[in-house]
Amino acid sequence: MTETLPTARAPRLRPIGRMLAVRVLGTLAILFVLSIVVFSMLHLAPGDLVKTLLGTRPASPEAVAAIREQYHLDDPLPVQYLRWLGGVLTGDFGQSIRLQTSVADAIGSRLGLTLALCGLAFVAAIGTGIPLGVQSAVRAGGVLDRIGTALGVIGLSAPTFAVGLLLLYVFAYYLPIFPVYGGGRGPLDTLYHLILPAITLAAGLGAIVLKLTRTAMLRELDADYVTSARARGIPEGRVRRLALRNAAIPIVTGASLLLTFLVGGTVLAETTYALPGLGTLLQDSVLFKDLAVVQALTLLVSLVIAVIALLADLAYLLLDPRVRAKGGTA
Amino acid sequence: MSASLGAVGVGFRRRRGVPVTVVVCLVVLAAAFLAVVLGPVLYPEATKQDILSSLMPAGSPGHPLGTDELGRDILALTVAGAASALVGPVCVAVGSMLLGILLGTLAGYERGPLDFVISRWTDLLLALPVLLAAIVVSGVFGGGYWTTVALLVLLFSPSDIRIVRAGVLEQSARPYIEAAQMLSLSRWRVMFRHILPNVSSLVITNAMLNVAFALVAFSSLSFLGVGVPPGTADWGRQLTDSRSIMFDNPAAVIVPAVLIIAVACAVNLVGDWLGQRLTRSGGLA
Amino acid sequence: MTGIDVALEGIEGPAGRMVEPLSFGIAPAASLALIGESGSGKTLTAKSLVGLLPPGFRAAGTLRVDGREHRLEQTDASWRAVRGREVSLLLQDPFTSLSPVHRCGPQIAWTLEAKAGRRLPARELEAEVARRLAEVNLPARVARAHPHELSGGMRQRVAIAAALASDPRLLIADEPTTALDASNQAEILDLLRELQHERGMAMLLISHDLGLVRGRTDEVLVMRHGEVVERGDTARVLSAPEHQYTKALIAADPALALDAAVPAEASGHSEASAAGASTDASDAPPLVRAAGVVKRFGERTVLGGVDLDIAAGEIVGIVGESGSGKSTLARCIAGLEREDGGTIAFDGAMLAPGRRSRTPGQMQIVFQDPYSSLNPMMTIGQILREALAVGGRAAAEVPGLLETVGLPADAAAKRPAQLSGGQRQRVAIARALAPRPRLLICDESVSALDVQVQAQILELLGWLREELGVAILFISHDLAVVRRIADTVTVVWQGRVVERGPCARVLDAPVEEYTKLLVAAAHRDRPPRHDHTHSHDHSTDGRTIPA
Repeated sequence: MTETLPTARAPRLRPIGRMLAVRVLGTLAILFVLSIVVFSMLHLAPGDLVKTLLGTRPASPEAVAAIREQYHLDDPLPVQYLRWLGGVLTGDFGQSIRLQTSVADAIGSRLGLTLALCGLAFVAAIGTGIPLGVQSAVRAGGVLDRIGTALGVIGLSAPTFAVGLLLLYVFAYYLPIFPVYGGGRGPLDTLYHLILPAITLAAGLGAIVLKLTRTAMLRELDADYVTSARARGIPEGRVRRLALRNAAIPIVTGASLLLTFLVGGTVLAETTYALPGLGTLLQDSVLFKDLAVVQALTLLVSLVIAVIALLADLAYLLLDPRVRAKGGTA
Repeated sequence: MSASLGAVGVGFRRRRGVPVTVVVCLVVLAAAFLAVVLGPVLYPEATKQDILSSLMPAGSPGHPLGTDELGRDILALTVAGAASALVGPVCVAVGSMLLGILLGTLAGYERGPLDFVISRWTDLLLALPVLLAAIVVSGVFGGGYWTTVALLVLLFSPSDIRIVRAGVLEQSARPYIEAAQMLSLSRWRVMFRHILPNVSSLVITNAMLNVAFALVAFSSLSFLGVGVPPGTADWGRQLTDSRSIMFDNPAAVIVPAVLIIAVACAVNLVGDWLGQRLTRSGGLA
Repeated sequence: MTGIDVALEGIEGPAGRMVEPLSFGIAPAASLALIGESGSGKTLTAKSLVGLLPPGFRAAGTLRVDGREHRLEQTDASWRAVRGREVSLLLQDPFTSLSPVHRCGPQIAWTLEAKAGRRLPARELEAEVARRLAEVNLPARVARAHPHELSGGMRQRVAIAAALASDPRLLIADEPTTALDASNQAEILDLLRELQHERGMAMLLISHDLGLVRGRTDEVLVMRHGEVVERGDTARVLSAPEHQYTKALIAADPALALDAAVPAEASGHSEASAAGASTDASDAPPLVRAAGVVKRFGERTVLGGVDLDIAAGEIVGIVGESGSGKSTLARCIAGLEREDGGTIAFDGAMLAPGRRSRTPGQMQIVFQDPYSSLNPMMTIGQILREALAVGGRAAAEVPGLLETVGLPADAAAKRPAQLSGGQRQRVAIARALAPRPRLLICDESVSALDVQVQAQILELLGWLREELGVAILFISHDLAVVRRIADTVTVVWQGRVVERGPCARVLDAPVEEYTKLLVAAAHRDRPPRHDHTHSHDHSTDGRTIPA
């Protein structure tokens, strides 16, 4: 199959490029607006700004002056914003008043654990949700489908912390094979400590994946091309792969749902199992009004979400030849 | 799978009546509703502390579900906590639905600059994970229960706006809307008399699902110590308060956790069922 | 024994019996047409022969292929031996019957591998796919194309190649050309006939269109409500139908009517009205005068300066293929689209683009699809009362209005879903008449209806013109329908008027090349009577792929 394509490739690339450019610009615009919102948080927070920034230190006139100097509070707001943005872009998020370290260090030391937790949960959710979703759709109305649907409803409805507390109780009391508290020491021990939190997080994630997969597969299996393939005697296994390949488009499009869930779920799972990750860092910082950390985490999460949404769009382009051709306004 | 089964097809299994699962769910919701209404009457002093009777296990005399470390009766606390756990989510879903109907219909029917502004606004809100935004805003700016409700209405509205807008866009392209335009009917009449009833099944289904999501979000916030002040009777708050006594009185954790899951499941299932019925019958008629 | 033998004992659905017992045989290389309107059970019959009935449906009976017997109620697993090898199915819509995300080559290759029962070497597959594509007159490079990159006709050819890649003994073609343009229809049907002869393969052609099968199948089975009402040699059934229903089908089929000698009544009426219209035009201004109307959608010019006059009480037909701009012109006149250039005048007064400059009493539209042109949430009474109120008329006029369009008064309490397609279209006409418009625009208003209902609606429109004196702008792609109702006809092609004049003159003795092509295409659907001598004289050159 080395012949040339019926249509040349070059003209088709242009609409893709334009679409990508539009999406990237849109993402940047959203991040810009969010950065303003996040910056204003410091000034809009109730209570005296200087007091908040001083934290537990005594409010002597010298200390207040030092703070005003350090944060350039006497500059006009746009200048302060630009200075802050410049710092953010070079990785300088300021100091955590609670931890007395730089925000970057505080985040850096906890990032690994959260990434590991999310990664584990994600793999577990995909690994169970997609096969279960496909099987449920193939035998819609069957026993497996009913069980899958029931699990899916529970997974979607149950808050992460409620699942976590119940699991914690069961595994601490009746089946003490997994650690239920803390982050562990050393990579292997950490992984071991992450098993229960990851299962907790994967319950909700997997339910979303299951529902997306089942719905998409049901629709595809009902499509004419599936009937046509079956009528041509194509084996059922191949027919299902064919349908799954088509169903991949709506499944990937639903990825943003996963992400939204993952962000909130991580905070809850880490809090439930007292894991020293970014989620607990956020919660503690919010309760302590450690604004620099809150600002940094909020921006970081927004950035991750924006980038992943862009990647999902790219995947959509790769998966659907029709969008590629049209330049995708969808 | 014998051939002699006769005329009864698979389609017959879906009868007119209400499935058993849905009946169970409706019973759960009715019980929850009763708890909301009667809770304050039955247990007006549910949050009253009594150190003398602290940490009694379930089954103790006078305290069927035991007490927590502050000596509060778990049964009373749980029944009284229903109001805080459930009223907010319902308000969030209704508020977000109304906002969605208004902005979604305007954006979808009027198109043009108004649509652009509303759509960018929803894009911006959708870029925020609901829980994270709620934690940060509620946590940093404080504010009580109703502030949290208002905040969640704002954060939930994009999904309603998008669903209504998409529904309105789809309906607007239909000939019956063009026929209404041929009659030179006013835009408000076209929007709310002709289009809105035809997207109502989408809106109502989504509102039901939003109740479940809001319930989860609300209890998550109170679990994290945001949104509901300490000492309030509330299921999420109860979980976070009783985590440390889980092994002394497991009922203090298990009962509210199971209740949250059960009510959320019930709302979701009823919502799904309602959605299917409404789409099959073509609307509310 | 060779050939196909079907003994269907019946098909049961959730709502009871859908298809009564029926049997038929098809000799190798022969073909049988199964004709029926929607709901007649023809598609269920087709699907039961590959074991692909929708959930909740069950068939009983036997299918015999060259003496090998298969029970129709067998399990899915046993069906797999039948599908492809014995029977293959070609579906109506080439846009959905191929997987949109896969290239065409693999989709044919899968069938080849399914038949071989094993994976085949890539080189061998590639050569075989190219050969199969050549069989359906497509170049080998189509294998690398995605379905959306091909035209509808080419896609259907790919679907044929895929369906035939397993070399079945019987091909079931379920409305294989309904989704295609008129010019592609004939080519696809002739191609199927050719392939059938080459392979000695039997074919079961399912169609709603009796005119289409003339000369293309050996025998015909006419189905209605799950029962066979007439069967026999195709030429005999078409020329001397025995059953009342078949007669009605033929009589009501406007396409077949085009072939018949022009009825004296119809032609006389056309000429008289046309003459009347021209004398009107000389002194009074026309009811509608569109001059140089231009409409662009983005880069694409849909209307390139179109003129159109409609006299009061006149029926003006506009014909053209889909995409010719005929509907856009009507929508500009109605104000549903804003023209980019030119002028539209009503009763001598200029109308600005858009709905705002127009009143409901000037013009109303009846749309194509009766299922979506009524608000499903309102009762018929509510729909009509609203329209009457707009025209300043009382709600009490609802029963009278319903009577005008031939509906009983109790229809007012019903919702659109409770009415048939034809009844809904009558309601749509009643709504359009409520503000007493001077012009009624019918945009493909009968295209979505069954032939018999189509005839009734056409009759109603003719009567309305006589009784109410309303002018009608009648848009259709179907020359025969326009022929039956319009006084004058305007032929539109690529956003321009090609030809216009009295209906009989333009359609019987066209002057312009394009009109001749259109008329010829309408006739080519129904080849001359002596079927078997029918040769493959494609008037258009073979389709080539845009490089």
